[in-house]
Amino acid sequence: MSNAENLIQNNQLDHGSRRQRINRLLARPDIWQAANEQQRPRNGITTGYPGLDALLAGNGWPRGATTELLVDQSGIGELSLLLPALAEMTQREQMVVLINPPFIPYAPALAAAGVRLEKLLILHPRGQRDQLWAMEQTLQSGCCGALLSWQGGPPPADKDLRRLQVAAREGNAMHFHFRPSSCAASPSPAALRLQLASDGEQLVLQLQKQLGGASGQRLHLARNSDLTRRDRPLH
Amino acid sequence: MLWLCIQFPRLPLQALTRAQTGPIDETPRAVAEQQLIVDANPAANQRGIECGLTIATACALSAELELLTRDTERESQLLQELAQWGYSFTPVVSPMAAGPVENGESRAACLYLELSGCLRASGGLQPLLEQLRRELEQMQITATMGLGHSPSAAHMLSQLPEHRQWLQEAKSPPTAQQWRQWISFSPSKLLDCDHKTTAKLYACGIKRVSQLLAIPLSEVGSRFGRNFVDYLARLNGSRHDPVPSYQPPPQFHSELFFPTPLDNSEQLLFPTGRLVRELCQQLQRRQLYAQQLRWKLDFGQKGCQVVSVEVSRPLLDAQRLIALTKLQFERVHLEQEVQALHLTCDQLQPLEESVLDDDLFGESSNLQRSHQLLDKLKARLGHEAMSGVTLRESHLPEQAWQSADTLILQSGRRQHGHQVKPVNAPRPSWFLQRPDPIKARENKLFYRGEIQLLQGPERIDGYWWQHHRHARDYYIARGEEGSLYWVYQDLTSAEWYLQGIYA
Repeated sequence: MSNAENLIQNNQLDHGSRRQRINRLLARPDIWQAANEQQRPRNGITTGYPGLDALLAGNGWPRGATTELLVDQSGIGELSLLLPALAEMTQREQMVVLINPPFIPYAPALAAAGVRLEKLLILHPRGQRDQLWAMEQTLQSGCCGALLSWQGGPPPADKDLRRLQVAAREGNAMHFHFRPSSCAASPSPAALRLQLASDGEQLVLQLQKQLGGASGQRLHLARNSDLTRRDRPLH
Repeated sequence: MLWLCIQFPRLPLQALTRAQTGPIDETPRAVAEQQLIVDANPAANQRGIECGLTIATACALSAELELLTRDTERESQLLQELAQWGYSFTPVVSPMAAGPVENGESRAACLYLELSGCLRASGGLQPLLEQLRRELEQMQITATMGLGHSPSAAHMLSQLPEHRQWLQEAKSPPTAQQWRQWISFSPSKLLDCDHKTTAKLYACGIKRVSQLLAIPLSEVGSRFGRNFVDYLARLNGSRHDPVPSYQPPPQFHSELFFPTPLDNSEQLLFPTGRLVRELCQQLQRRQLYAQQLRWKLDFGQKGCQVVSVEVSRPLLDAQRLIALTKLQFERVHLEQEVQALHLTCDQLQPLEESVLDDDLFGESSNLQRSHQLLDKLKARLGHEAMSGVTLRESHLPEQAWQSADTLILQSGRRQHGHQVKPVNAPRPSWFLQRPDPIKARENKLFYRGEIQLLQGPERIDGYWWQHHRHARDYYIARGEEGSLYWVYQDLTSAEWYLQGIYA
């Protein structure tokens, strides 16, 4: 083989490996390419609310990622927002784990929403270390469809949030993390951040951040009319 | 019949030091009984310390000698464990305890295994012997082996160096002719008889068994007694040679003793791994599985602590069992030094084929993963931190659900038969542990600001026959900031309470 041929071949090899490296870089889930927006797989789990699905990049709740729900007040419909997705998960034989819920998840309401109770696990770990450990193990396990966690006590460190995000990716699990809205100012590795509030009648969602999608939009979701219809006997 | 005799010449020392990690032969160690050394490790041997020396002489030979007292109870326990180990290879096993010390010497403890029945299952003589040797080495037990057509012959040949050499490379058991040659080749001091008889044999000039066999039996009987003739017949194979048969207990028990106590739970990990691997090997061969591993941390005179690891499914994977145990041990705070570690498994269950078949299908591998997760969570967080919820049939809201054991998750299948249906009325997704009182003033209700009743009432008036009558009017109410609450008025006291939140 002549020198020239050798050089050309080397160049080609070099070029090939560089191309490979770029492709590998582009394949990373945290790199967003505006040009490829249309080709991105829309592999979210439907939220059960068409209006919300349309706003979300994956056409639903992101799988294998953390979703932060910033909420200060309970009773505005923050759990109902997730119930359709949870019902679907449990019906597909996947586990749903609740870590440190602030109140007792009321079985009759969950069952009525279609959640299969035998797939629901509630954890109350003792300290923050055990809590983070349990969250990571659950997300990684690969058998957990969704993990809902409530932050009690001091906010977790940035590196812990990052670890949880990685764990969710490994186990391909949905992670919903409820945090007070005072955390909105601090950056977070979560793939999706939603601020939840109430305007008195409806649940107001504000998209704070979304990987691979636009943010800043606002969405009003009406409460179930069975609940809010006035002056009607319950039975 | 093909008998293997495994002698454990170092059992007195190894029963006490088996738990040690790493190279153990650095410091000279010896075991003493009644002022005499009965066992010493190679480091001690190098310094001239041997069995039969008095403690005073031994200490004079080496100042750094570590002296341990012989613990015959621990030895016989270890021999039982070894018998259990042997039983996992062949059903015909007989352990024999060490003989009493006589002139500084004693017959080593040994184990007889009948191999003819298990040769084929183990892939032949050589692979079987190799496996036995390897596992003994893993357990850090020194052993010498002998193969014979009767237990007595195997015992004698296990002491013959030439025979042991041959056994290293033996591919198939020798013929009857070859046995006879091995036996007659043996020096007569290897015969299993008392010192008086041995002395008498030498006095007669009988140095090899062949010389003894050349004498007519009646002659031998008149000189050495009936028992000796009997022994020769058993050695020869011309008479049945019975040994007590061993029946394993329906449980697993093994222990490791630490001559230098451990004060740190991390140090427990190495011995834990060894015990779990021993357990898994045996369970696998006996086709059993354990549902619970009970660890006992022995603090000597200061009591003990029991840690149990529960396993929801048949699990023979040593790595996973070690990981589960590790999680439990991490929660343990050692206040005392650990002197010994015991592992006990009661209620060994037969491993059914259907249980293992599950693994072949992808669907249940998901189920398997969830079992693994549950076991792991249970091990670190404890039983009390985990729960599930189920429905209950009741009119009373607080009795319409109950906390359930996480076991329902493990069934993995929909429960058949009677199923409770939830009530067909809007129920809140959050429920309060106990009702929270609501202030009522001037016909207005206040809970973090004023709340308005949206709809109601739904009267729940149940259990009027009970002592405590529950009569309540339930309403859905809205708080100032838009939260929806489930509130009720107790009809007997007219007080208002919050019981649920429509989250």
